[in-house]
Amino acid sequence: MSWFWRGLRAGVLTEGPAPEALPESLSPGLPRATEFSTPAQAAEIAARCPTGALEAQDRVVGVQPDRCVDCMRCKSAQEWRHDVRWAHPDAVERFGSRFKHSIHVRIIDAGDCGSCLNELAQLTGPSYNLHRFGIFITPTPRQADVLLVVGPVTRQMAGPLKVAYEAMPSPKRVLAVGACAASGGIFGPSVMSAGGAADAVPVDLTVPGCPPPPLAIIGALRALCGQEPPA
Amino acid sequence: MNQLPLLLTGIAVAVALAGAVVALVLPERRAPALLLVASCIAATLALVAGGAVLLGGASGDRLLWSFPVLGPIAVGTTPLGALFACVAAFVYIPTSIYSLRYLDRYRHEYSLRAFSSWYCVLLAAIIAIFICRDIVSFFIVWEVVAIASAALVAYEWRRERNVRAAFIMLAMSEAGTIAAMAAMLLARAGSGSLLFGVPAGGLSAVAAWTIFMLSFFGFGVKAGLLPVNSWLPRAHPVAPGNVSALLSGVILNLGVYGIVLVNVELVPVRFAGEGIVVLAIGAASALIGILYATIEDDLKVMLAYSSVENLGIAVTALGVAFVFTAAHQSVFAALGFAAGIYHVANHSAYKGLLFLGAATLDARLGGRSMNRLGGLIRILPATTAFFFVGVLAIAAIPPLNGFVSEWLTFQALLRAVELSPLGLRIVFALCGAILALTAALAVTCFVKAFGMTFLGKARTPLPRVGEAPSTMRLGMALLALECIGLGVLPTYVLPVIGRAAADFFGSGTIVTALIPQFFRPAAPPNPLPPDFVATFHALGAQIGMGLPGRGWVAMLRGGSANPVVFAMSTTYLTFIIIALLGVTYGVVALVTRRRAIDRSRVWAGGLRSLLPEMTYTATGFSNPVRVIFNAIFNPTEVENDRETIYEHFRSAIRRRREDVFSADRVLAEPVAQAVRRFASFLARMHHGRLPAYVGYALGTLVVALAIVIWM
Amino acid sequence: MLSDVLNVLRSIWPSIEWRVDDGSIVAVLPREDLRAVAKYFSAQRWRLGTIVATEGRHELELRYCFYATAHPGWAQLIIALNPVDRTIASLTPVTIAADWFEREIEDLFSVRFAQHPRLGDFVLHDDQWAENAGLMRPFVQSGEDLPVQRREWRPKRVLEEEGAFVMPVGPVYSGGAESALFLLETVGEDVVRATPRLFYKYRAIEKIAQGRTAADALLLAERCAGTSAIGNGLAYCRAVERALGATLTRRSEALRGFFAELERLRHHMTSIREICESTSLSVAASQALWLEEQFLRISGELCGHRYLFGVLAIGGLQRDFADPALEACLRKADALRPKVDALRGALERSSSFLDRIERVGIVDREAAQTFELVGPFARAAAISADMRAVQPYAPYSGLEFNVPIEEEGDGYARLRVLFAEMEESVRIMAALCRDLPADGTRIDAAMRAGRGLGWSEAPRGASLAWVELEADGTVSRYRLTPPSFRNWHGFHVATESFAFQDFPIVLATLDLSVAENDR
Repeated sequence: MSWFWRGLRAGVLTEGPAPEALPESLSPGLPRATEFSTPAQAAEIAARCPTGALEAQDRVVGVQPDRCVDCMRCKSAQEWRHDVRWAHPDAVERFGSRFKHSIHVRIIDAGDCGSCLNELAQLTGPSYNLHRFGIFITPTPRQADVLLVVGPVTRQMAGPLKVAYEAMPSPKRVLAVGACAASGGIFGPSVMSAGGAADAVPVDLTVPGCPPPPLAIIGALRALCGQEPPA
Repeated sequence: MNQLPLLLTGIAVAVALAGAVVALVLPERRAPALLLVASCIAATLALVAGGAVLLGGASGDRLLWSFPVLGPIAVGTTPLGALFACVAAFVYIPTSIYSLRYLDRYRHEYSLRAFSSWYCVLLAAIIAIFICRDIVSFFIVWEVVAIASAALVAYEWRRERNVRAAFIMLAMSEAGTIAAMAAMLLARAGSGSLLFGVPAGGLSAVAAWTIFMLSFFGFGVKAGLLPVNSWLPRAHPVAPGNVSALLSGVILNLGVYGIVLVNVELVPVRFAGEGIVVLAIGAASALIGILYATIEDDLKVMLAYSSVENLGIAVTALGVAFVFTAAHQSVFAALGFAAGIYHVANHSAYKGLLFLGAATLDARLGGRSMNRLGGLIRILPATTAFFFVGVLAIAAIPPLNGFVSEWLTFQALLRAVELSPLGLRIVFALCGAILALTAALAVTCFVKAFGMTFLGKARTPLPRVGEAPSTMRLGMALLALECIGLGVLPTYVLPVIGRAAADFFGSGTIVTALIPQFFRPAAPPNPLPPDFVATFHALGAQIGMGLPGRGWVAMLRGGSANPVVFAMSTTYLTFIIIALLGVTYGVVALVTRRRAIDRSRVWAGGLRSLLPEMTYTATGFSNPVRVIFNAIFNPTEVENDRETIYEHFRSAIRRRREDVFSADRVLAEPVAQAVRRFASFLARMHHGRLPAYVGYALGTLVVALAIVIWM
Repeated sequence: MLSDVLNVLRSIWPSIEWRVDDGSIVAVLPREDLRAVAKYFSAQRWRLGTIVATEGRHELELRYCFYATAHPGWAQLIIALNPVDRTIASLTPVTIAADWFEREIEDLFSVRFAQHPRLGDFVLHDDQWAENAGLMRPFVQSGEDLPVQRREWRPKRVLEEEGAFVMPVGPVYSGGAESALFLLETVGEDVVRATPRLFYKYRAIEKIAQGRTAADALLLAERCAGTSAIGNGLAYCRAVERALGATLTRRSEALRGFFAELERLRHHMTSIREICESTSLSVAASQALWLEEQFLRISGELCGHRYLFGVLAIGGLQRDFADPALEACLRKADALRPKVDALRGALERSSSFLDRIERVGIVDREAAQTFELVGPFARAAAISADMRAVQPYAPYSGLEFNVPIEEEGDGYARLRVLFAEMEESVRIMAALCRDLPADGTRIDAAMRAGRGLGWSEAPRGASLAWVELEADGTVSRYRLTPPSFRNWHGFHVATESFAFQDFPIVLATLDLSVAENDR
């Protein structure tokens, strides 16, 4: 009973609508295309990137956000964006009206380092409260509409991932969360891991970030059920 | 007086005995066929005779001859005996058909001639015992039954377990026989005649109680009641499969027959206390039996314990009948009696079926441990179907037969409100609660038995075998049909039981009480409000009108305040269930007609497939029961080894427990220990010194002289 | 001290050449002496830190690293193996702590350990790869070089009892759990033994690190377990810096300590949250989640990353942090303390919660000692095993701090250790903040060939790194021994006989990371 009162006393901790710009306490943001004064400088900046997320073209350093692993080496020079709409579709397809109201998500850890999973755990916490959008985490793929993949898909997890995907009833969608699931990140493709979830199952939407902030993951899930458009 | 049934029964006995003799001289490979022919003819004759008695009327006792020392020998058909004979025949016929090919497994190893011979002897004795109408012949035949059944249990004599079980069975049976005989003799002491037909004289309360206790003990051994049933879980599982079916389906009934014979016919119950004893022992047997059955993993041992449970339920119902008899409430007494006898008949049908099913697994797969089997539905579909019927019946799932008799038993127990002493009501309530628990555990037990054995995944690689031979399937099919018939048509079965009860509870009591009168349209006097009658007519009382019998609803009428005390119709239920299943199937088919159905593998947490060792075992399934009732099982830990390599590397954890049957623990072991102690005391007297022996002789002489002089 | 040990060793094994190098006793042993020497170290309460296998084109070497618990000092026993024969006597009979190291090396280097009780199906699963695939061997360049072989895999069973069966949990189970398969051996109701089958998430960090620059390999070290990026990253950085012979500025050392404690603070909050969740105490779990989020935000505000990625760099820190920012961070962390204390108090007062975590997953002192467990897991069983105290390193060598110890070794003891360590961490952060030197946060370490051993006390316990560098600064061997790998080895000790419904609780209180183990 005392827990009941403690819970009531704590009051509502969920924060309102997502801020337009994410503060650093929520996420470092994502690098975005930046124009530098000289091609040489651009090349130098692009060369700092260990995963090839930055690409210098003349004076502009373009960005493939899926590859960014937050090493922060370009932070001092490259411009970073701080919005919340990180999700971008691989194949533009929506759930449509059938899943507008409520969806169930099965999370699959296919080699995640733990930080993406930790951010996913935060989703259901009081600060983010995923459930208010009618989105629920389910332990079985049999009831799941969305397969949320984190991690680069290691070769020993590829099998279970495919089995889980097959176990889901149609219609189903796959959301790749984090740089690893989006592109293999720092780990792949390599000897024991693939280059992301797309190598094992058809991915519908990816969220970059290492790890992506909870608000961006919520945005992606809402985009999947058609509650808001993807970026 | 109709003498034809008696004659038919006599012929049946003769046929069976002839079969037993001929079996000894026929060639080995012909023996099973002879067994089939002889026992089917004999059993059919007995069935016809029994039917004639139940429909036509009893013969009355007929004095055959009189022995100079032993006294008169009398035979005669009675409705009660006829009913039991019919039940026995209903098990014997399918079992004999089943045996034809089942015995193949013993060919070249054990003598089929011996088996067939004993089998026929047993049949002859069983048919005969129901027409014995005096103490002498009764106990002679009784002994033949005991010896023949022990011989059949010990049939596989090369296995020590079987021989041991047969000896224990025989020994306990003898103890019971002596007690029962003493009781019968005491009961006859008043009348001065050994014939059953002569009414007993007035007995003192002490004498009545002594007779009751002795006979209940004596026949309780046969009926497998606590605490004198140590033999049952030993003998039933080791016997050949078809013999197990007979042991459970026929031999146990003899115990019930004995209890009814003494307490209803010879010395009618006078004290509620007698009924309470029967009630309590019955309920305890039911609970303990089902508890041990639930935790058991060997299919046949499980079925054996379940027999303890079922006989317990039947005896509980009889206890109710006795209490009501003592309270002079003959309607409710008849209700309890009907429930008990109905349950005995039901148990014979489904337990026979289940034992034959278990025997089929044993014969086809060479094993019956539920922890090793699994997924048999794929290789033995027909056996699975028959076994499923038996499981539904024994778990008392409507509309099968187990439900009908258990429901009647509960209704009889609930009639405790008609008893005035508070103590009796409390006992009834307690027994009702125990039976309710028993019923729930029975469902658990048989969900496990069926699920673990026939569904899911095989736990050990199964041999590639086909379905059982057609005669074996036919045997099981007949019993399955019996289960369905007894369940679906109770209003046709109850009048038959009513005839058997007519002698004791008044003719037509059961029929009048249970199958309502207002089925016949204008039967005055009609105490019920006309609109009520109209409603019930409209509801279906008339549906069965054109058919023979009295309708399809069994109900007990009360006063005008509560016109219907209880009502039940498994017949209607059957139609409803079929209709519901059909509608469900139709709706599902309709809804999914245009939809693609995704079929994918079982979700096993991402594993490619579940391995056989990952399948739930029978032990695992019933372990919660084991944990909850640990105080009753009180298992002894035989082994608990934790093995390590290099001190810390755990390589094996070996554990083994043994559950001693509580009857063994409470009675058999202390008795055995006392006997052993007494024997060693006697052995001490044999120390081989001559003067001592002379002393013993002298002492005996002195005592003998003293007795003579005193007399 | 180390010199005394050296003298004793020289007197027992005079034929072996013992020397001291950078705080370590180093010796090349003949194969047959290994067991005796290892036994000696074990008897002296030295712990097996790690076993490093290195295979070049023509040579195969095993390096057994022990560290003393009574005083600072390491020992590295080197065995040169015949690359064709590849056989050596297993150390498992002498010290059970070597068990998993040897199984790992068997899978990755195809070294055969004679007399090891159970090899195979460890890192590389038997149903996917051929035995002796040797992933780490030089000839394997990509996944295609590995011999694939689909075999039927059957779980090894320990329980022999009528009706015993294996209940599989995983590899995909629960809501958002890390992927690992648990094989629960049971006869129903009570689980008699639980065996984990790990490495589903094996990303072969050690393999991919080869050939990357030292700076790029740091990203791998950080992301081995995202929840202890500083802990594992620090061990790696220290190993590289020792290989390079670099001396860091005092400011960067202090700041590294500050971040390590900040991470510990947040990580322990996560563990406490998981314990609350496992007992289905939703209000407590929610409050812990909220607190955890606050710690994440504090970290993000200070460093620009919630999980402190990109803070460390070879030779110090990637960038400097202003003193006021650090103080603000400390203030905020300190401000959360009353809330953490309130949660702790409420938890300790709710008997339903205590009933569920008391006396579950017990690992007694002896087992913790034998299996050489580390971190809060060991400290709850009265074994200090804190690298900050046992093998002190900057900035802890000059600091006074407590190592909380509990005796019972059960789930509750571990919870208490977590709370106590959180308090201690804030105290250490404050001490480090008090007089921060101002000598810069990064030195430019010149690249050169070298090898070095680094260690740190990560939130889950001792993290060890062994790094070999080429002259151009690329990594030729990175061996990391994260704390979870040690502690998973003790998992089965904590799970001998428990009620099935307690499984999530046992798992949560053990505070084990699959990612950290799987690497």
